[in-house]
Amino acid sequence: MWLNQFLVLSAVLFSIGVYGVLARRNGVLVLMSIELILNAVNINLVAFGSYVQTVVGEVFALFVITVAAAEVGVGLAILLLLYRNRRSVDIHDVDMMKG
Amino acid sequence: MSPSVDWAALLPQIFLGGGSLVMLTLGTLVRKRAPWWLPNVLGIGLTLAAFGSVVWQWVRVQDPSRGAFSTIAGTVQIDGFAVFLSGVVVIAALLALVFAPFSIRRAGLPPEEFSVLLLLSAAGGVTLASANDLIVLFLGLEVLSIAAYVLAALDLRRAGSQEAGLKYFVLGAFASAFFLYGAALIYGAAGSTKLDSVAAALAAGAGSNARGMLLAGFALLLVGLFFKVAAVPFHAWTPDVYEGAPSPAVAYMAAGVKAAGFAALLRLFAGTFSASSADWRPAVAVVAVITVLAGSALGVISGDVRRLLAYSSIGHAGFILVGLESAGANGTSASLLYLGVYAFMALGSFAVVMVMGRDASGSQPLAAYDGLARRSPWLALGFTLLLLAQAGLPFTTGFWAKFEVIGAAVQSRTYWLAAVSMLGAVVAAFVYLRLVVRMYLVRPGADGDALASQKSGVGLADDSRSGDEDSDSRPPVAVPRSVGFVVAVCAAVTLFFGVWPAPLLNLAGDATLAVLGG
Amino acid sequence: MDVVLAAASTPDFPAVLVAVVLTPLVGAVVLAVLPRRSSMLQPVAALFMLAAAALVAWVVVDYTAGAGGFAYLIDQSWVSRIGFSWKLGVDGISLFMLALTALLFPLATLAASPSRDRKSYFVWLLILEFGCLGVFLALDLLLFFLFFEVVLVPMYFLIGQWGHGNARRSAVKFFLFTMFGSALMLVGVLATAFLHSAAAGVPLTFDLVTIAESQVISASAARWAFLAFALGFAVKVPLAGLHTWLPDAHTDAPTAGSVILAGVLLKLGTYGFVRFGLYLFPEASRFFAPLMLTFGVVGIVYGAAVAAMQRDLKRLIAYSSVAHLGFIVLGIFALNVEGLSGGLLQMVNHGITTGALFLLVGWLYERRHTREISELGGLARPAPIMAAVFLLVTLASVGLPGLNGFVGEFLVLLGAFSSHRWWAVAATVGVILAAVYLLWAFGRVFWGRATGENAKLPDLSWRERLVVAPLLALILFLGIYPRPVLDRMEPSVEHLVQHLEEHAPSGADSARPSVGQASP
Repeated sequence: MWLNQFLVLSAVLFSIGVYGVLARRNGVLVLMSIELILNAVNINLVAFGSYVQTVVGEVFALFVITVAAAEVGVGLAILLLLYRNRRSVDIHDVDMMKG
Repeated sequence: MSPSVDWAALLPQIFLGGGSLVMLTLGTLVRKRAPWWLPNVLGIGLTLAAFGSVVWQWVRVQDPSRGAFSTIAGTVQIDGFAVFLSGVVVIAALLALVFAPFSIRRAGLPPEEFSVLLLLSAAGGVTLASANDLIVLFLGLEVLSIAAYVLAALDLRRAGSQEAGLKYFVLGAFASAFFLYGAALIYGAAGSTKLDSVAAALAAGAGSNARGMLLAGFALLLVGLFFKVAAVPFHAWTPDVYEGAPSPAVAYMAAGVKAAGFAALLRLFAGTFSASSADWRPAVAVVAVITVLAGSALGVISGDVRRLLAYSSIGHAGFILVGLESAGANGTSASLLYLGVYAFMALGSFAVVMVMGRDASGSQPLAAYDGLARRSPWLALGFTLLLLAQAGLPFTTGFWAKFEVIGAAVQSRTYWLAAVSMLGAVVAAFVYLRLVVRMYLVRPGADGDALASQKSGVGLADDSRSGDEDSDSRPPVAVPRSVGFVVAVCAAVTLFFGVWPAPLLNLAGDATLAVLGG
Repeated sequence: MDVVLAAASTPDFPAVLVAVVLTPLVGAVVLAVLPRRSSMLQPVAALFMLAAAALVAWVVVDYTAGAGGFAYLIDQSWVSRIGFSWKLGVDGISLFMLALTALLFPLATLAASPSRDRKSYFVWLLILEFGCLGVFLALDLLLFFLFFEVVLVPMYFLIGQWGHGNARRSAVKFFLFTMFGSALMLVGVLATAFLHSAAAGVPLTFDLVTIAESQVISASAARWAFLAFALGFAVKVPLAGLHTWLPDAHTDAPTAGSVILAGVLLKLGTYGFVRFGLYLFPEASRFFAPLMLTFGVVGIVYGAAVAAMQRDLKRLIAYSSVAHLGFIVLGIFALNVEGLSGGLLQMVNHGITTGALFLLVGWLYERRHTREISELGGLARPAPIMAAVFLLVTLASVGLPGLNGFVGEFLVLLGAFSSHRWWAVAATVGVILAAVYLLWAFGRVFWGRATGENAKLPDLSWRERLVVAPLLALILFLGIYPRPVLDRMEPSVEHLVQHLEEHAPSGADSARPSVGQASP
């Protein structure tokens, strides 16, 4: 029953990440929360990979790590741009458009 | 042992992705600033080449003696479905590039970055359409999306564009994370990331001992992809992004990114998970209905043309979901037809929106269109045609798209879904009529007057100033040739295949998933 | 049955119906390339409409009475993948709808010319005629739906761009109401086709005759499908309750728009009931007949009552249309030969008389710039010809024996009385009311002392007299000698009633004794 522990850990991390995205106001923290979800996914993938005895899970996890890095890079760049304009990374301030 | 690679299968990606990387590299190496049109022309050339290879792939796939094939150890599947949607994505990128110079010149979009990002995103879309493995699917989705986030934020002078980029990014990354978590669970339940192995495992009842995991996987995948295609209740980013992002990027998002998102939805759910369709169909049905109704209803109360078109694109996503809901070859081909047809309507409409606005992005009141039929009759006629097609009027492609989707729903005996969707279509028709009314039936007085009537809200304002020959002092809208060309092409396609839909229906019908056969 | 014509079993011009439908469309294209301010716009538009009318006249004369089926059939596959075909044909039921359309369009075009944007005005009129002709000729469910829906666009622009008063609002209301009706009809069309192909085990087809003759759809499904169709038609007719778009649209439309709206567009609904409701779903038609009859009678009484309260002449005629259309629905859902032929004849008659009334009111409005009944009066003195024409048309509309309205009303009442006695009695009350309110309005407008501007009213010009003359001739002709029309109609009507009896015997679901058998 060793798989379940990893799944539970991953689910907890996922939930913390989702909470962080929804509740945090700071853009950088939101990015970190998204990273947390991605790492929850990685734990899942590696756990499943060793459970079904293939390397596919680990390979998938490597791809996720790479892509996550790219994603965070873009996210930080956009945040930086916004910070230069407004001197703030509070994403709840960003509500010029109403609808 | 490395798997064999059929490079011909990857030609579109090579042209789009490879080409954009080469452009990027050259751009950093060459110190001298290139003329503004060069990246654009290069981009158009590359997309044309990609389109040529897509056509070639289509011929190859449709050849009965060769048929669908897969490559790179079965992770990339080139079937009619993949090629059709690749075509849609490439056309979206192509037309967006054709009319982008207007925004580049007037609003100062960086030309090189725009071309590179658009090509990169399209490469992701093509990868997504032909993916046959959860990993490749994920990679395609991310390449598509990350480039699109930057595209949305590309109008550097306007804070609205950065805001759009940020919102798109945060929600998009969030959605991607959901998608990934779902993909991981599916991998765990089925023991493979290859879609055909997953489908075989599901058909063999693999999920029965881990049913909860499987259902959670479905749900998370659906949520992630619903975000990407802007289905209600995961649509909140859409109007803001459509309002803030530069018009060519929005046109590409509405046509190309949506098509790619649906490529993933259709391939995963109508294809791979078709064995467990009883599990996911109810969820899709509910979301489809809410999306159609909410998209149409929100369009009614919107006072801004970009937001209005954003809500309309949400409504269209609902219709495409109706096609997905019927979970079969007919529903899939109906959704494909809808995506192909909608791409042209969206591209043409946003081209019009672009020339009507002073900036590349930003809000655009309905009143800007008052009396357009007098100032620029051809532009108004083209836009009207595209709007009526979106409303689903006969003898336009929009009708056939709705017809096929509703037909698929009726055929799978979900009559309530068909009926409610059609009622949503009537509400949506009102939204498009509001714009047509503005263009043809409202005579603008002074500018302030027009604004006042705009504030009075819903388009049925009772301020019919019935002067016989009005004296509209506003000059005709300057329509550059490139934009005129795009609008004309989109309107012509919409009308021509509306009258003669047989080739279009055959095309969509031939573009079935290899999993579904046929 | 005396066959007046040389029996032409194989027509020598089989593609005539295609020519009929496409002539206005070609006209629209020709007009579109003419210069904006050309003085030839109106003549060219009228020329194409008259060409279509000539073709239709040939069809009417050449049509061989005695054949129950469809003549001049054209069946060309359009989208073979979904079994959609360009199938046109004409029978005794659609023949006179066709003739009415072909007649009213050129008259409406010649009657008035707008003050601005004349080019797009005539282009829209031609496209509208294309759609209307197509609706009456289509024998493919999907083709019918396409035409049925496409007429919305030209009508919307005609009302919105060249209308009076609150034209924008009326145009949008018209568009949305009708689109709401047809939205569910599309579901009905698809459901019918798919259910038929599943039950009969044949590939998907939208062919009306194939689906209607096979009758394989289960009764409960057919009832739902009937309702889906009926909603679309009911909005168009309009049945009482769904009628609110009609007075607005009629009142605010330009003269030609009102004429076409009343004369042709409303008939799309009643024609749809006959052609698609009854023929496709005989059992469901009989099942829902009491409901439809009720709607019809409510429409008659309501229309008459509300019309009597109107102060605007055009609105009054619009509400009288609601009453007349209720009468037609009553005839159709009597489901016997008399009622159906009466209803069909009444459709033609209503097109002629109401078309003429709207023309006259339009001309009156051009002269006086008001339609308020209270502001008009004594017009018979300065404009005797107009008064005479108005009186004749009003009397025809009221149903005076010797004029066209009488024959149709009589047949409808006969048919309704033999199958549904009490409904017929209630409808008769409506007829009396109709006579009262129309004659009352006529008296207020034309009799009495003319004062002020009323005294200086110019009479009908020669051009206007020429436009209205064919309608007057028809009013007299159909009143005195309706035989040629009835002869051509009857075989098809009998065929339809037989079809009804065969698949839904009249005694089957009602305790009432069946009276209305098909007895020629």
